[in-house]
Amino acid sequence: MSESKDKKQFLKNLLAQDPPPADKQLRHKEVLFEKVKRRIWLGKIIGGSIYIALFSAAFWAFMQRESADNVVHSICWGAVSIHILLWFLIYFLREIYRTLAKIAENNYDIDKQSWKNQDMFVTVVAVLIFVYSAIVLYRSFFLNDPLKAAHLAASIFWATVFFLFWYPFGTASLLAKLWLEYKKMELNITKTGGDEV
Amino acid sequence: MPCFSDISDAEDDMKQDKVSDAILVLRLQRRDESAFQELVNRWEPRLYYYLRRIIEDENAVWDILQESWLAVFEGIRKLKDPLRFPTWMYQISHNKAVSYLRKENRYTQMTNEQMVKYNEKNTAISVVKEQAELVHELLGKLKLAHREVLMLYFLEGFSLREMAQIIGVSEGTVKSRLYYAKNKLYEALKGAKDV
Repeated sequence: MSESKDKKQFLKNLLAQDPPPADKQLRHKEVLFEKVKRRIWLGKIIGGSIYIALFSAAFWAFMQRESADNVVHSICWGAVSIHILLWFLIYFLREIYRTLAKIAENNYDIDKQSWKNQDMFVTVVAVLIFVYSAIVLYRSFFLNDPLKAAHLAASIFWATVFFLFWYPFGTASLLAKLWLEYKKMELNITKTGGDEV
Repeated sequence: MPCFSDISDAEDDMKQDKVSDAILVLRLQRRDESAFQELVNRWEPRLYYYLRRIIEDENAVWDILQESWLAVFEGIRKLKDPLRFPTWMYQISHNKAVSYLRKENRYTQMTNEQMVKYNEKNTAISVVKEQAELVHELLGKLKLAHREVLMLYFLEGFSLREMAQIIGVSEGTVKSRLYYAKNKLYEALKGAKDV
């Protein structure tokens, strides 16, 4: 038997010397899982509140357009609402991409440092662009010409285009990589099974 | 006779365990309740065994387990590398156990004195018992400091650096403790064979 199999068996035997009493373990788990469930719900409520607050802010900005006393403000408030919604979407896409990237970097041959550097760079660029867009949007409120204001406010949305492509394409390529690695693993297992026969 | 497929299967199993643990950690970082339950089911017997060798009082062990798991849940998002989960989790349990012992004023006493109390009835080593039983008995006769490194070595096969991180001492200290504990174990096993 191989060394690692021996180790596994030894560990099993060692743990069998003093296993946790079943009734106490069951009660402990019930209490623990209940506490964790409560904390997850609390987290969901807080997360949901932030989500609702952000969308309310975006909707409030959108409604301001209706009650704005001039055309420039009306255009700019509309742009503010779209600005908030788009960046929130980018944040979600980034979270999905990062989760998949973590799975991939832990399981397969990926240069961790270069991935981290790239992620850091894209994040810093995103934050800078977000801040710059917000400043441009703020400045557009003080313009007198509605056409110029509309042009300036709409121009900031181009900045989000890069990220709206970057994260979904990154996610798709990671998914493809994970799928290929899974298929490779499946083939290897079949091959080993064949050797045994 | 060991065949190639045996070795690769076992290694694959170990790698698969690590990978699936890492995936569970990632899921837990996204607050997946079933991932937490799965992790508890996987790791609790080992953690229980580890804590039972440090703390005599069984009720206290359950309390510390509860606190440790809640700390794992709260802090999991700070864990950058999911593959480091076992080291990080043992570190939390170790710290909780040490603070309990300190509160009870037993830590210094236990690190300096031999602890045989919880296992007094098993003083005689019998050859017919399996190696695991011998190791279990020997653990009860070692000082806490030596017992802990030996447990971490047997339970998880941690490296010196990982053990040093868990216990919070230097690698050199871990090395000397492990050397002493292994020697004791070797003598005990040899003694059991000779009988």
